[in-house]
Amino acid sequence: MPMNVPFSAARIRDEFPVFRHHPDLIYLDNAATTQKPLAVLDAERRFYETANANIHRAAHRLGSAATDAFEGARTRIAAHLNAAHPDEVLFTRGTTEAINLAAHSWGRAHLRPGDVILLSTLEHHANIVPWQLVAQATGAIVKPIPLDADGTIDQRAFLSLLTPAIRLVGLTQCSNATGVLPPLAPMIAAAKAVGALVMIDGAQGIAHGGVDLQALGADFYAFSGHKLYGPTGVGVLWARRELLAKMPPWQAGGEMIDRVSFDGTTFAEPPFRFEAGTPPIAQAVGLAAAMDWLAGHDRDTLLRHELALRERFEAGLVQLDCIRVLSASAPRGPITALAFDGLHPYDVAQFLDGYGVAVRVGQHCAGPLHQALGLNGSLRASFAAYNTEADVDATLAALATTLEQLA
Amino acid sequence: MSSYPPPFDHPFGTRIDRDALAQRLEAAAGWEAKNRLLVQLARELPPLPDALRTDEHRVAGCESTAWLVIGRQEGRLLAAADSDSRIVKGLLALLLTAYHGHTPAELAGFDFEAWLVSLGLQRFLTTSRGNGLRAMSRMIREAIAEFSH
Repeated sequence: MPMNVPFSAARIRDEFPVFRHHPDLIYLDNAATTQKPLAVLDAERRFYETANANIHRAAHRLGSAATDAFEGARTRIAAHLNAAHPDEVLFTRGTTEAINLAAHSWGRAHLRPGDVILLSTLEHHANIVPWQLVAQATGAIVKPIPLDADGTIDQRAFLSLLTPAIRLVGLTQCSNATGVLPPLAPMIAAAKAVGALVMIDGAQGIAHGGVDLQALGADFYAFSGHKLYGPTGVGVLWARRELLAKMPPWQAGGEMIDRVSFDGTTFAEPPFRFEAGTPPIAQAVGLAAAMDWLAGHDRDTLLRHELALRERFEAGLVQLDCIRVLSASAPRGPITALAFDGLHPYDVAQFLDGYGVAVRVGQHCAGPLHQALGLNGSLRASFAAYNTEADVDATLAALATTLEQLA
Repeated sequence: MSSYPPPFDHPFGTRIDRDALAQRLEAAAGWEAKNRLLVQLARELPPLPDALRTDEHRVAGCESTAWLVIGRQEGRLLAAADSDSRIVKGLLALLLTAYHGHTPAELAGFDFEAWLVSLGLQRFLTTSRGNGLRAMSRMIREAIAEFSH
């Protein structure tokens, strides 16, 4: 879309075929997965129709076309991330596999007994459990960074925990459960000052405003395609070339080797060293198409729209009793997490579903965060570019009716 | 109608039977009325005492927590249950109605999940990862299977 066309959420919504099949659907579960624009669906289909073959090894024209499509996707994704080089973009199944790759490859090779991995209490389980497994295997120690009363990272505690024993700091760019945005720039700088590496979980953050990896200054960045209007089954781990060069293979098989013999096998250079087996080829093409599609819009305008929807929603909640917005005053992305006095979020969601409003309830794979907030669960509404003010108003009306039904 | 000791002294499966519940559910046209009825059933099911709301009896779903206590008296299966969610608790009232106070012979051939589907409640089975209903139905069936050993 040309930049000079005024923003219209309704026009963006028209680019998403799912809403033709479900015209009344109010989809506020975008933090779980976003819907896909026609541009992404077309790109995957076009790949299968015009260039489908296995990559890198085929001695035929279709194989070259497939390899070009896949490596072209890597190059475009690297450009959208402002990575220094396409070789720094490793394709994975998603954020979870990306963090596992970093933890198992870098962690097992470089962590020693007594080394400390510092993780914020905001983290999704995907940025906790892989590090716990690697800590068990290496004798390293996982320590949490506590939260303030408002559910943001306690900065004073963070600084006091930073010692030379810290080898890695794991932070989310945007909490998947509450939307809280940690102050990444000073936290990354402080972590680097004690010589620690920094893993940023970008699964939510990249969908809302994107990322500039060279400006960010982190060492690892992980995200998924499917939360970014792209396909499921594909994600990215980014790390600088110097760091990847010092990391051993994690999974093994075809594609990742240099030369195999039973006397010994040598491994390919990054990124191929970390992409054993046939990668998600069409999905990588689809992910690049999703990022191209996003780049065709003004990202700041999209983010402002999503945040305006969140604010409209939260302003409307004031009219309703017994609802509390978690981390209400903290800097947050377009995610609202709600707790209810005397009501279970599951019950609220069951009624909302009946009114055609899709939200998420539970702990959102963020158990430590909910424990810190003293909650068994919360209800999450998360906004995307195709959501409209009408979606918000209908959700508020549905919530009001739900509260009456459950009174 | 025989009465059972606490926590098995609730009406579901004894004073309220499957046919009575099926009639109420059929009268509740549409999902909204069905949700409301489940909330109403939850009100009719007394809470489990805190002493029984323990990890031993906890059946964790991703989205809500439930507690299930299984007992046995004179060849009959006894069951009591609770949940922090009212809709799940209403579904548990259906589960108790199906099984509580019955003998294995009375339950032979009974399919709880098919019964829920026939009552128009299949959507609660597809979200069973969240509400643990399928897991609890399986636990009761396993308890019944042990009766015959």
